[in-house]
Formats: sequence, structure tokens, C-alpha cells
Amino acid sequence: MSELLSNITALLLFPGGLAIMAAGMIYEYLDRKLVARFQNRVGPRWFQPLADFIKLLAKEEVVPDGIHPALFQWLPVVALAGALTAALYVPIFGAAPAFHFTGDLVVTIYLLSILTLCTGLAGANVANRFSIIGATRTLTQLFSYEAPFLMALFGPAIAAGSWDIAVIETYAASHPWLIIYQPIGFLVALIGLMGKLELPPFDAPEAETEIVSGALTEYSGRGFALFRLGRSVELVIGLTLVAAFYLGGVANPLLFLVKTLALLFIIAALQSLFARLRIDQTVGLWWRSGAVLVLLQLLVLIALKYFGVAL
Amino acid sequence: MPEQKHAEKFIVPIGPQHPALKEPGHFEFTVDGETVTAASVRLGFVHRGIEKGAEERTYIQDLYLLERICGICSHVHALAFALGVEKLAGVVVPDRAQAIRVLVAEMERIHSHLLWLGVAAHEAGFDTLFMYAWRDREKVMDLLEQLCGNRVNYSINVLGGVKEDVNDVIRDGILSAMDYLEKRTDLYLKLVTTERTLIGRTRGIGIMEKQTAARLGTVGPTARASGLERDIRLEAPYSAYHQFPARIVVETTGDLEARFVVRVKELYECFRLIRSILNALPAGELTTKMPRRIPEGETISRVEAPRGELFYFIKSNGSDKPDRVKVRTPSINNFASVMATAVGHKLADIPMILSGIDPCFSCNDRMVTIRGVGQPAGMDWDSLRQYGIEYYK
Repeated sequence: MSELLSNITALLLFPGGLAIMAAGMIYEYLDRKLVARFQNRVGPRWFQPLADFIKLLAKEEVVPDGIHPALFQWLPVVALAGALTAALYVPIFGAAPAFHFTGDLVVTIYLLSILTLCTGLAGANVANRFSIIGATRTLTQLFSYEAPFLMALFGPAIAAGSWDIAVIETYAASHPWLIIYQPIGFLVALIGLMGKLELPPFDAPEAETEIVSGALTEYSGRGFALFRLGRSVELVIGLTLVAAFYLGGVANPLLFLVKTLALLFIIAALQSLFARLRIDQTVGLWWRSGAVLVLLQLLVLIALKYFGVAL
Repeated sequence: MPEQKHAEKFIVPIGPQHPALKEPGHFEFTVDGETVTAASVRLGFVHRGIEKGAEERTYIQDLYLLERICGICSHVHALAFALGVEKLAGVVVPDRAQAIRVLVAEMERIHSHLLWLGVAAHEAGFDTLFMYAWRDREKVMDLLEQLCGNRVNYSINVLGGVKEDVNDVIRDGILSAMDYLEKRTDLYLKLVTTERTLIGRTRGIGIMEKQTAARLGTVGPTARASGLERDIRLEAPYSAYHQFPARIVVETTGDLEARFVVRVKELYECFRLIRSILNALPAGELTTKMPRRIPEGETISRVEAPRGELFYFIKSNGSDKPDRVKVRTPSINNFASVMATAVGHKLADIPMILSGIDPCFSCNDRMVTIRGVGQPAGMDWDSLRQYGIEYYK
């Protein structure tokens, strides 16, 4: 009975459910505020993400003609569910993951991709021309960063000799920071996260000056709110993963906060430093440099492991 | 979902309402994947009938009406009209007034170019530069407000002179602001020529050869970025540009980067002109006596607006109202270059190529009659009115 209760708590309150949603909104606020300050703007007030969310939930959801209505309404739900499920397997807030099993790293990464896939499908589902181009770009971008991002997270896994996030995190906490040994992996993971979240300069899939709002152009009310929330949740999960793997683990809430916020600061700075990349430039960047470099690093790691060098 | 046939063209409509457009215009880009294969434009969504309105008003009222053609380069419209009317009336405007007119025109150019820099950076997804440029633009806007009393429609011109004088406080304020802006311009020039992601979006994009630029009749910074030496301030100096000659800024590559560089470098030219005017401001009156009725005759008046040559044709019938005022704004000359250079580029480049000419839609929307075979040579007022009623039925 108590196991059931703790499972329900983990799913609905902490670390999944409400807690991760609240964290997503807080991190979204910090991201927006930091970018605004870097850009010499005032930025939003602290409750703005929550206010946006409530406003969007209250708005009428316009379902366009000529589409599959069930798909239109359920894709945002699936996207958010994927992101929320992923939260159960990562050491969020410095607590041990709610659930873990061998191989949960791969499962988590795929759960994180569900949001992007749903965004792409949502764009392709409607007949809007901006949405279709946005969907094409979203999926093109998925194919460009996904493999390097995956390999960047496999680096620490190989070093720790496990596919279990909790084990990798313990390893990272008890050894020197992995960013020192695997700097390429850290960079690719962090920038891959930006690509995943379609943050500038990787925001070609939703470039407002070209294709209005990309794949989500036709979404107005609830669906849009859920997609946005899903993205904020992914931001927290992604930052947690990178901090846990590369910055010496997140053993307690204080370390979690310091390390993820430092990463958020870097991400916000990167967002305000560059002009938007065209989609062909994004693909070129990832496959010409990102993927090749991280693959080289992975091969070196595997070779070292094979020859029994202690990592 | 409607089936997408392979033979069917995939057309991306941009406008009349679109986030990339600050004013309404309609563009259709046929795309193959991400590559644009055809482009077309339709303008005229913000036709306001200003030319007809000008015929109904006196010359003095027209000055205020014509200043409202453009919200960004309002001063040059009033300047072009005032210069034309003064030429018709045979009035010589005092030197001090002419110098102040040029001073405001150059400050307006700074504000317009900084505004464009921000808009173009925004089209490239570089919002930081957008915010920085617009914050610096506020400096010039504040100075213009201090000098003229208004931030947008400065309304400093009157027929026969200017309304406001430059005192020492304003003079020092402008000079110190120029020093600040010059430092900022150094940063912007460095940014547009060295920032790699921005160069990735501008270098080699939207190239227009010198011959093409000349054939399409482009004007202003768009032409100068293609190596075409066109600047009314030098070709036909007006107002005080005799005493304070401008220098031309030309780039030869003709791509988007050149259009960035030309506009940023022109800012330096503005700073230099403003300093030299303020350091040698001629003494004397601000206005001269102007007749209410303008002698019969017709004239053209050309000035260099921030976007290029601004052309006014004014016909007087001897009364206090003009018989005809024809305005040709620079954007209409430059639009053809967008259509000519867009084909073959990526869809993502299109908003940048479009904003590269610094388009101003409501300025250039006027009635155009295309005379075809078998069609009437023109329309009288009643048939035009009837046509309008039928069109919007």
C-alpha cells in the first residue's frame, strides 16, 4: 500500500507531475528574463509563464477544417506526457530518480524526442502552408541533432560502464568532473539541448519572420499551452541530465540548483549572441562538425575502455 | 486533409498580414522544398489618396499632409515639397534655415538607418542587435524631439524656412550624442562585418550586379551597395548641401552584407555632416516672406531620402492650392530588385532580401494606370469613384 502511495506521489506531485511543471515554468521565466536582460530589455515578471499558461488554457481552441481532429487534440497531450514521464528517470532536484532500471538512459532520450515528433506531426496534420514547412524543418532538425546528442550522452555512460542514469550520476559525482575529460561531449550535449528545444539560433523551425510560428501556427488554446509546457519541462530535464553527467552530479538540491542555473545562464547567453541559422546551415553544422567530433570522442572512449585504461 | 498533388505548386503567401511585414503587402513565393522558384508582389493595400487630398488643400496645409506620407522619413517629404514650392514662388530661403533643414534631414537619416538595422537584424533572427540598435535610435529621437518638439512628424519646415532654431543647449546635446553614437556605430560595423552567424545569412545572398541595379532603376543605399553611384545630395545638391557637401558611400559586392555595410557607413557620413553644420551654422533669419498664392508653373523637386531618391512634381495654377502633386517614393523603384533577386534563394533568405531594400509600403502605394492596347488612356474623377465603389462592393 505504501509503495502504491509513494508511486502516486512520484507521478503526480514529486518529482513528476506538479513539481516538474512548476520547475519548468520557473526555468522558462529565468530563461526569458536572462535573454531579455542580455538584449537590453526589461523582460517578463516572475509569474508570466504561469499567466501565459492559464490564459492559453482559457482560450477557445480553434480546430481548423480538413484535419484529423483527434490527432490535433491529442498530440499536445502525448507530447507533454512524454516529457513528464522522462522526468521520473532523471535525478531532478537532487533527489534520486523516482524509478530506474538498466537502460533507462536510452528510454529517457527517446521520451524527450516524443515532443519534437509530436510537434512535427502536429504541423503535418494541418493544411496550413507555414505549418507544413515548419514541420519539415522540425523533423529535419531532429535528424541533425538527435544522433550527436545521443552520442554526447553516451560518453559518460561508457565511462561509467552503465546505461542506468542513477549509476552514471553516482559515478560522475565520485570522480573528477567529466567535462574535463569529455569537453566535446559537454558542448555537443548543451548545444544539442538548444537544438532540441528550438532555442535561438536553432529556431529556424519556428522562425516567425518566415513561417509565422512553424508547425504550431494553427494551435491557439489548450494545445499550444501543453506544447509550451512540455518544452519548459524538457528544458529542466535536459539541464539536469547535462549537469548530472558532465558537472559532477547533482547530489543535493543546492548542487542541482547551482549547476543547472549556471548551465541555463550559458544557454541564455548563447541564445542572445547569434543570428538565426538557416535550416541547411543547422544541418551542416551538426553533421560536418558536431557529429564527427563527438563520434571521434566516443571512439576514443571505447578504445580506452577496451584497453582497460581507467577512466 | 486536402491531397497535395505533385504537380501542384506550393506557394508560400507572405502578407498582407504576416509577422515579417511591418506594413501590408502581398507576396507569393513558389517554393520547391526550401528553394524559391518564383516570386510575385502585389502592393496597394494602404493607398490613402494623399495626392488627391493635396489638391484639395492649400500649400500650407499640404505641408502637414505630405509630411504624413511616411512615418520614418517625414522630414524629407516636407523638405522636398517646400523646396519645390519655394522654387515656384521664386523665394530665396535664408542660409540658416537651409542648414537646419539639412541638420534635421541627416538626423532623420541616422534614425532611419538604425531602425532599418534593427529590423534587418530581427529578420535574421538576431534580436540582440535589434534591441541594441533601437535603443540607440532613441537618442536621435530624443534629440529631434528636443529640437522640433516631435519624435516622428517633426514638422520643422514651413514654406520659406524653418520654425525652430538651434540654441547652444541643443547644439551641445547633439554633439555629445554624435560622439556616443559614433562609438556604437563602430560596434555595429564590426558586428555586420565579422559576426559569423550574421555573415552566414548576408554574405553572397541577394546579389545584384551593377548592371541589374541600373536596369531596374534602383536608388539609394540599395543602388549604392551594388556599386551604382547614385545620391541626389551629390548629383543635384539642394538646400544646404552646397555648403556642406556629402560624400558618397559605395560598396561593390551588391549582396545583403554590402547593404548592411553601406547603411552603417552612411551613419559616419551623417555624424560628420551634422558636426560640420553645427560648427559652422550660418547666422541670420529663420524664415522669409512667402506669398499665399504661388505663381502658375510646374517644377520637380528631388531630395535624397534615407531610402533613396524622393521625387516631387508640383504644378501650380496660380491659386493657393496646387493643381497637381505627384510623389514618387524610393521604395517603388527598389521593389523590382526584390523580385529579380529572390528566385533561387532559400525561403529563409526571402524576408532578409525583402527588408534589404528597406521597403516602406504605405509611402509608395498610389494610383497607377497602366495604359494597355484598347484601354482608355486615363480615368476622370467620376469614373474613378465609380470604379472604387464597384471594386469594394
